[in-house]
Amino acid sequence: MTSAMNEPRPAGVLIGQGLDRLDGPLKVTGAAPYPSDFDLPGMAYASLVRSTIASGRISRIDRGPAEAAPGVLAVVTHENAPKLGRGPKTILGAAPPPPLRDDRILHHGQFVAVVVAETAEQAAEAARLVQPEYDAADPVLDLADPRAKVRDDPWHVDMRRGNLDAGLAAADVTFQATYTTPENTNNPLGLFATVAAWEGDTLTVHDSTQWPYNTRGALARSFGVPERGVRVLAPFVGGGFGSGLRAWPHVILAALAARIIERPVKLVLTRPQMFTAVGHRPNTVQNVRLGATRDGRLLAIEHTSDSPVAMEDDNLEPITLGTSTAYACPNLITRDRQIRLNVPCPGSMRAPGEAQGNFALESALDELSYDLGMDPVRLRLVNESTVHPQTGLPWSSRAMRECYLQGAERFGWSLRSPEPRSMRDGDWLVGYGMAGASFLHYQAKCQARASIDRDGTAYVRSAGTDIGTGTYTVMTQLAAETLGLRTDRVRLGLGDTDLPMAPQAGGSGLTGALGGAVHAACVRLVHDFLRLVRNDPESPLRGCDLEDITLHDGRIQRTDDPTRGETYAGILARHGLEELTADGDSSPPRGDMIALVGSMVTSRLGRFGRAAVRATRAVAPAGACGAKFVEVRVDPDLGLLRVTRIVSVIDGGRILNEKTARSQITGAVVGGIGMAMFEETITDAGTGRIANATFGDYLIAVNADIPEMDVHFVGEPDPANPIGTKGVGEIGLVGIAPAIANAVYHATGRRVRSLPITIDRLL
Amino acid sequence: MTGAAARPPRAAAPYEVDLALRVNGITRRLRVDTRVTLLDALRDVLGMTGTKKGCDQGACGACTVLLDGRRVVSCLVLAAACEGRDVTTIEGLAHDDGTPHPVQQAFIRHDGFQCGYCTPGQIMSAVSLLAEGRGGSDAEIREFMSGNLCRCGAYPNIVAAIREVAKAGDDDAGV
Ligand code: FES
Ligand code: FES
Repeated sequence: MTSAMNEPRPAGVLIGQGLDRLDGPLKVTGAAPYPSDFDLPGMAYASLVRSTIASGRISRIDRGPAEAAPGVLAVVTHENAPKLGRGPKTILGAAPPPPLRDDRILHHGQFVAVVVAETAEQAAEAARLVQPEYDAADPVLDLADPRAKVRDDPWHVDMRRGNLDAGLAAADVTFQATYTTPENTNNPLGLFATVAAWEGDTLTVHDSTQWPYNTRGALARSFGVPERGVRVLAPFVGGGFGSGLRAWPHVILAALAARIIERPVKLVLTRPQMFTAVGHRPNTVQNVRLGATRDGRLLAIEHTSDSPVAMEDDNLEPITLGTSTAYACPNLITRDRQIRLNVPCPGSMRAPGEAQGNFALESALDELSYDLGMDPVRLRLVNESTVHPQTGLPWSSRAMRECYLQGAERFGWSLRSPEPRSMRDGDWLVGYGMAGASFLHYQAKCQARASIDRDGTAYVRSAGTDIGTGTYTVMTQLAAETLGLRTDRVRLGLGDTDLPMAPQAGGSGLTGALGGAVHAACVRLVHDFLRLVRNDPESPLRGCDLEDITLHDGRIQRTDDPTRGETYAGILARHGLEELTADGDSSPPRGDMIALVGSMVTSRLGRFGRAAVRATRAVAPAGACGAKFVEVRVDPDLGLLRVTRIVSVIDGGRILNEKTARSQITGAVVGGIGMAMFEETITDAGTGRIANATFGDYLIAVNADIPEMDVHFVGEPDPANPIGTKGVGEIGLVGIAPAIANAVYHATGRRVRSLPITIDRLL
Repeated sequence: MTGAAARPPRAAAPYEVDLALRVNGITRRLRVDTRVTLLDALRDVLGMTGTKKGCDQGACGACTVLLDGRRVVSCLVLAAACEGRDVTTIEGLAHDDGTPHPVQQAFIRHDGFQCGYCTPGQIMSAVSLLAEGRGGSDAEIREFMSGNLCRCGAYPNIVAAIREVAKAGDDDAGV
């Protein structure tokens, strides 16, 4: 509650504390309002019809039977839909194509009609009566299909340094293997829902989004109405894991239905629709080649990947980019290709790209360690880079060595006998495995606003969302600390486009961006209070600047004499003001762009490029990193695999709340266990239909699959960010799948290069 | 296209049924489509949205409520089959004086959720598990909570919360 304002960064008692989640009471009583919980007067229900082919055209679509069904208010297909605009481009690429634009089918499960009725049951029933006829074409479904269109280097981030062939030729040991990862589906537990209500050309939407401003922009463009007339609300979202980063067709269709019937409409996706309509982690086929000296120094890394994208949509997901900055290796090539298929569009899913790319790289390093006869932790320590490997710029901060060393210590790595199949516990084979993990730094521009009211309480707000990460709680802690208030005197507003602009809750970037903006707004607010009393003869703070004061429990006091001071409320009252408000914003560090552009420049210009980039004297923001250690048990007769222990040591920069940050890591580890052992979206090779689109068939980790976990944070506040955070949303997942695969090899002697590691792969 | 028209009271259509059930101790009378599940009746007819829908297929546990004191997934129960029965939802768990149930409090202390969407179902299952005497060990808690999916992965904290209430042997831990 006391903070000195002359410090460049917030520091003190509240930040870091494992405060209980402030939205906890709402969530445990069922009172937190998720988008699907909204019920508006006169509201009707929409249900969607999906294509049953993956490629071709609709030859006939009869609306009649559905229109005649009880309670039906409208049936909309491409034949009677108005022409809709396409949403704006974002960092993730083009917006999804507008729904119902023509008779073409580009993937199985494409929305071909929306049915609106008085009740949800009537809408669902009538949707079944829409049965289009098709001219089906032979879909392109396989990455290896020669008909498929290939996009080389789709994002211009393929990297190169040194001379790969020379590196491989000079190596004492070389290694090469192919790894595959399957399609995974985000499956947030909250079914995505949109409740849309128009009043003339103004639109209010409750939506399961991770990025309200993006949804607002997409809706405005779709319907050709001004952005300021569109309000998107998402104060609570039932998880996202990346699937809420785009304004998907169903969002537009819900608003379209509401516009047509001139009543509010609720649309809730079904679980099977969640597999085809809101993105998923794309499958990959990856090739890794390594060359190293006898003592383990990497001389060459080549990492290539093929992954799918939809026919006419985008997905920003470099699989191999992370490899270019993972280790100090002088000769490297990373290369991505995207293959256009008749599939629902992939999209970000927790640790997009890195989840898959890191599996291949960290598996390959484990294999190399056996070829070298070297401990896998040592192999990684030998190759840890003190600078950004592609540009040579210094890291902002990177405690990767501590991650390895403390992880090994906490886990008891020294007890591992290196031979595969050498450790047993009764009938169970025991295996130890580990992996390193990094996640590229990401930050976007953000704004926030802070007010203090006559009663001395603060209201801090921004449009960013809390999808379960703890944003409400950590931002309250940060604001309370910066303003010198108790947390119960600070109210936080989130998830509303009527509030200042915020970027997506994604890329592990929101905490840093929003934290910077909240901090700036709060500092400015205190500053404005001081300005108010600067020439105020009645104020004991007269003439004080930020560096002369400290804050305590709603009171500004002089650092040289804390008895002299006054409260925010007192100042407002004396000046006859109801409240004082200040805005703050934050921008990504300069090093972000320099490191990325610099990487591209060095890729193309080699050493000369490197010299030019270093001349900028920039610092490369390191992003979060960590080391994962796993113990597994395998029953060799039954192929049963159990994960029995996991240690994660993470450098996440400054941790704003020990409790919620830890939950971010453990939760992501659970996702990593699912990726390693259970999750695989299966597409029928003939029809393109997803064959396991239910929770009964698509398995995710359940409570009994999860062991005790040890999570430990190391590192220091990261100078690349004004509040020192690195973002901890994805780093917990990265490295879990390879650590498990590596432990499985250690236990059984069987190398699984293809996820998930199911029983059949161990028999 | 049809506009918004207030519907006057009318006789039940052939696919509708009138029924009375007790929700959190209060008798509620409603007319529902025979196809309406208990889950949708709670949410859409009675406006009690604390109970969540995560799959509508009986596979995630988000919709868990107590029906005559036993946990059920309310998406697999037809409302029409609940005539005269007792339903307890997350909204009915707090004690009469408004104090949250010990399991609710433990979930907050142990951070047993993130997005919070699975939480009402988890808590209803946990309360039931304790009543069934299944909180004896972590292994047992994990096993008997495995019908409740949490995509945010709050499982270790959920176990810690339930363990704490089980250990405390709290007399208030029932419903
Ligand atoms: S909604 Fe009932 S079990 Fe998933
Ligand atoms: S808290 Fe999000 S699904 Fe459990």
